[in-house]
Amino acid sequence: MKIPFQLNGEPVVAETTYSMRLLDVVRNEFGLTGTKEGCSEGECGACLVFLDNKLVNSCMVPMSHVVGKKVETIEGFAKSERYQVIEQAFQNHGAVQCGFCIPGMIMAVENLLRTQTVFTEEIIKESMSGNICRCTGYQLIYDAIKTVIQEVVE
Amino acid sequence: MIQSYRPETLKEALQIRNQIDCTVFAGGTDLYIRKRQWQGAERRFDNDLLFIHQLSELRKIEVSDEEIILGACVTQSEIEGDAYLPEFLRMPYRLMGNPAIRNTATVGGNIVNAAQVADSLPVLFALDSQVVLQSIHGERKMPTMDFVIGKYKTGIQTNEILTHVMIPKKNWTDFYYRKIGSRKQNILSKLSVIVLLEKKNDDLTNLAISIGCVNEKPIRDHEIEQGFLESGAINQLIDQLYDKMEGQNDKRSSKAYREITSLKLIKDYLEKNS
Repeated sequence: MKIPFQLNGEPVVAETTYSMRLLDVVRNEFGLTGTKEGCSEGECGACLVFLDNKLVNSCMVPMSHVVGKKVETIEGFAKSERYQVIEQAFQNHGAVQCGFCIPGMIMAVENLLRTQTVFTEEIIKESMSGNICRCTGYQLIYDAIKTVIQEVVE
Repeated sequence: MIQSYRPETLKEALQIRNQIDCTVFAGGTDLYIRKRQWQGAERRFDNDLLFIHQLSELRKIEVSDEEIILGACVTQSEIEGDAYLPEFLRMPYRLMGNPAIRNTATVGGNIVNAAQVADSLPVLFALDSQVVLQSIHGERKMPTMDFVIGKYKTGIQTNEILTHVMIPKKNWTDFYYRKIGSRKQNILSKLSVIVLLEKKNDDLTNLAISIGCVNEKPIRDHEIEQGFLESGAINQLIDQLYDKMEGQNDKRSSKAYREITSLKLIKDYLEKNS
């Protein structure tokens, strides 16, 4: 069946089913492989995308939830100015090693900036609680996020 | 091959539910995990699917002087972010999953899934909430604590959809909620406790206690609470609650840890506040 929605600002139609996961559709049908599959159960955050401006685990979103909605993947967000700030901060702090988790990390950082007005250590860590990194270690990522907040908010 | 149905109205959904043996799909954060497959493969569900997440009738939060009504497909983050809702309701939802999961997971899904670790159940039991179940033949209401029978078991009929949760308003003056897990966020609970108090001029006039994850469904006992309101005997209350515990060791925690810790938390709070 055909499911229309907006993908990174462009109207698109996916040839799929209601029960297919959004993750599989963006990767396999549209070739947007920046969205990763890690744990397949909402723990690791590698598959994060924005659905109507809300952060969701695309591994747990059926296409039924996507009908007529706006989807923004890391490829779409990468065109923004704010992405450049986040990318630079992650580079400067050496916050990327293998890189598998980083698209999801960046989407979670953007969600933090979009949804919060106060940025305490606790709020930052809560916002990043759904993202797992298995190689860099979280401190460098945390330091990069602090830099992003300084540049964007303060 | 399974069929998927995506009705536009609740009426239509109830008709499909009545005609077809199907799995009702709300947020999907539990259903998808149970149906894991290889990457890129469509999840294999056993039954036809009835999607209800899009039904506007099930997406509302209504607050009146008498009660709070939550639509079954209200997401956990919508509760977390609704400043008109009391903190004792918002806090358990805020501590479930992570921000992205809470944007998808629903109020009704957590109830109907009825996991032993479902963190919304203790607070919904403690608040004497009722679930509204609709079918093409009409609706029925029942206390959430009776609707949930045990682990992954509820009293839902095959032609029914859980549409709303109704929470009567009471004059709670203080509450205590504590969830214990192996980390602070994005973790399934080892145990959780909620205590709600109503005091008038320093006298304790009402109380509700519920303990999650210890038994297959949360512990809530009105008789024990009434006895405590009359006697004020904390040790007796703790002994009576202990008698209700029948849990087992599992991968998240041991029976002893769950029982001792939840009772200690309740005792400590009541000693300081009742």
